Amino acid sequence: MTSQAELDKLIRGDYAAGFISAIESDTLPPGLNEDVIRFISAKKGEPAWLLDWRLEAYKKWLSMPLPTWAHLDHPPLDFDEVSYYSAPKSMADRPQSLDEVDPELLRTYEKLGIPLHEQEMLAGVAVDAVFDSVSVGTTFKAKLLEAGVIFCSISEAVHEYPDLIKPYLGSVVPQGDNFYAALNSAVFSDGSFVYIPKGVRCPMELSTYFRINEAKTGQFERTLIVADEGSYVSYLEGCTAPMRDENQLHAAVVELVALPGAQIKYSTVQNWYPGDENGKGGIYNFVTKRGVAHDNAKISWTQVETGSAITWKYPSVILRGDNAVGEFYSVALTRHMQQADTGTKMIHLGKNTTSTIISKGISAGRSSNTYRGLVRISPRAENARNFTQCDSLLLGDTCGAHTFPYIESRNPSAMIEHEATTSKVSDDQLFLCRNRGIDPEKAVSMIVNGFCKEVFKELPMEFAVEAGKLLEVSLEGAVG
Amino acid sequence: MTDAVTSTADRAAARPTPVVEPLAQKLAAQAHSLAEQTAASSDALSAWRQAALAQLARLPFPSKKTEQWKYTSLMALDAGHLVTQAPDHANAPALPEPLAPWRLVLINGRFHADLSQLPPQGVSLTRLDGSAEAPLSIAEDALRTPFAWLNSAALQDGLLLTVADGVALDAPIEVLLLGSADVASHCHTRLRLQLGAGSRATLIERYIGQGPVLTNAVTEITTGENSDLVHYRLQAEAADTLHIGSLILAPGRDSRAASFQLMQGNALRRNDVRVLMTHSGASASLNGIFVGRGSTHTDNQICIEHRVPHAVSDQLFKGMAGDKARLVFNGRIHIFAGAKGTNAELSNKNLLLSPGAEVDTKPELEIYNDDVKCSHGTTCGQLDAQALFYLRSRGIAEPAAKRMLAFGFVNELLSALPDEAVVEWARPWLERALTEAEHA
Repeated sequence: MTSQAELDKLIRGDYAAGFISAIESDTLPPGLNEDVIRFISAKKGEPAWLLDWRLEAYKKWLSMPLPTWAHLDHPPLDFDEVSYYSAPKSMADRPQSLDEVDPELLRTYEKLGIPLHEQEMLAGVAVDAVFDSVSVGTTFKAKLLEAGVIFCSISEAVHEYPDLIKPYLGSVVPQGDNFYAALNSAVFSDGSFVYIPKGVRCPMELSTYFRINEAKTGQFERTLIVADEGSYVSYLEGCTAPMRDENQLHAAVVELVALPGAQIKYSTVQNWYPGDENGKGGIYNFVTKRGVAHDNAKISWTQVETGSAITWKYPSVILRGDNAVGEFYSVALTRHMQQADTGTKMIHLGKNTTSTIISKGISAGRSSNTYRGLVRISPRAENARNFTQCDSLLLGDTCGAHTFPYIESRNPSAMIEHEATTSKVSDDQLFLCRNRGIDPEKAVSMIVNGFCKEVFKELPMEFAVEAGKLLEVSLEGAVG
Repeated sequence: MTDAVTSTADRAAARPTPVVEPLAQKLAAQAHSLAEQTAASSDALSAWRQAALAQLARLPFPSKKTEQWKYTSLMALDAGHLVTQAPDHANAPALPEPLAPWRLVLINGRFHADLSQLPPQGVSLTRLDGSAEAPLSIAEDALRTPFAWLNSAALQDGLLLTVADGVALDAPIEVLLLGSADVASHCHTRLRLQLGAGSRATLIERYIGQGPVLTNAVTEITTGENSDLVHYRLQAEAADTLHIGSLILAPGRDSRAASFQLMQGNALRRNDVRVLMTHSGASASLNGIFVGRGSTHTDNQICIEHRVPHAVSDQLFKGMAGDKARLVFNGRIHIFAGAKGTNAELSNKNLLLSPGAEVDTKPELEIYNDDVKCSHGTTCGQLDAQALFYLRSRGIAEPAAKRMLAFGFVNELLSALPDEAVVEWARPWLERALTEAEHA
């Protein structure tokens, strides 16, 4: 039997990664206008075309109404309370090696379990670590370059590979795509750029760790991945943020381009601060993620969403080419007062295109968990195929689980199947575990893990371990 | 600062407010003036009409931006349907064979006693023409669309059927609703059925008609404790008609209600069905067959609300879209926080019979309780090529083989119907609808 103090600690389930590192940063005062955009652009020494591109996005954003269709309830956002630029100060002169990196920063990474020093030898994972808005250290670059793979920050790519950036930036998610994408296009701070040349299988899994650190700083990441014909890349994204009381806005854009025969696997573990049990604090996460799959290409999204007070996220695939494949595997866990409205869009344009959607939603506490999806079959998408499964698990009678799948079929040869179920952890399952001596919390965690297995098996090994652990930690205190 | 707009307040002011579509505005104005004319007449239903008028004024008319009307445009109503009232037919047109021994006939919304066979003892009939007061809506917010409120505000005639406690009818009551006009016009039909405790009844609503007439129908059904209801809604109007209908069903405690809808597409068809599970132990079963033919439009919105513990609902809807037809289906299961022990299921299966057809379906779950069993499933596909080949290899021509398979697709629903007269009417009807669905 555990002591009362230990129990209390478990039930509170405090955010394990909630600490604040004190690093001086070069932060812009809150507010947004054209000058702010010019400042960001100038600070990064961007070419004129990109500044124009940003300003165009800003103009579009100004004319767009705030979207209200999601099953979310939050106070209106004040975009002038957000600071749109923040860079670690020591970045003014970019460190040439890890030794030059601010030791405070390195210690932060160590707390998060991202040992930059060791990573080179250990995991075989190149990390483009984003600390607030500017990329700090990029490893394994040489090894990747040898294979012809470009993996760098997007601001660097703008300077070094403009021919790759120009045709693809905004090609999947245009500036005026939606409210938050327009905002991102106007003020995006930094992010990652990946280019895999023709026929190359990326020698390692690419990974970016995000971390929002500066109070009241919006983080506007922009990621662009271009996989040239016949190439393959697996990209990992993981995030965690320190504890803050004020809501922080995050509006990221991720664009994937899978040229004919290419494969992109994009995995996310999202563990931003979800707010406390009364809904105080937490990250507001409004993300636009979309990929275009050309002939015979494949795009696979896998996500484990346990964080953020508000999640608004629909990783989508436009199956433009014939025989293209789109996949979406998702686990979304909400507790306390978290609200998630997440799902996917599969737009079938090409012939013989197939898509699979597996979504697992788990709600606990007083949270609300919504799956919202769209499967659209265009008239010329002969023999298109979709399978969708959305399962919801409710833990407790004060939470909500919702499913809103839109299905639009305009081709008779298409086959679409959708099914959704809602259930709770059954007493039978719990009883079976308990009479084998497993304590209730562990039992629920096991059952939930089993519930999510279909999605976890899609994750790369090291991520799957992290995801399982994350779920376990998040469930602590959620079981009554 | 080079930018004039700098603060959130300024920006909010600068952002365009959602524009109300001119069409929605126009229809709202037409509906309002229509309702005002009727509401002015003073009779036993005046107060009730006035209240509906207030609701109508409050509710905006749908446009393409309205989420629940995403797939349905009201463009077809631009011809002034809401301005002109369909004529009151003095001479009755030829009526089809009745499906039941008791039949009540409404032509363009007006009750015709001379054409009707009144129901037996134990069933009371009240005309909703203002001659007497009558309890009308189930709940103030039961109606969801402006069309339903328009129906109430502009009500001039309708029927209230009350089956007394403990009365078990051994045959169905048919209500035949005929809508017919040569010019773009409208009629409102209103039907209310109240089933007493321990009673048993079958109601067949059959809509027929032709011409550019908009039938704006509202049907409300409440059933008493431990009652049995079988309800049919057969919508067999010609392809040039328009139909916007609401059905509200509120089953009583420990009661059983089964509702079956059969419909073929027409120029505009919209059905809003709302089932209110507000009594424990109630069970509701909703089934339907939708056939889209020609360039018709069929939009079904089914919402089932489980507000109390231990109620059960199941739904199975099958749709077939041929030619250039469009089928829209939205099936919502809403489980309220207190509704523990709920069982709710929904299945929607669709067949696309031709390359120009379209199916848009959205099964929704909104659940606020963990102690429930809920599921929904939906499929969309075409006829099985192997089965088609098998039939053709037996010398059956392709169109006939396709019809056979399509018929087989929906037959499980038809053959389960308890009333033989309805099945006998439905089979040839379906055959005809499928032939029409093949091609233009």
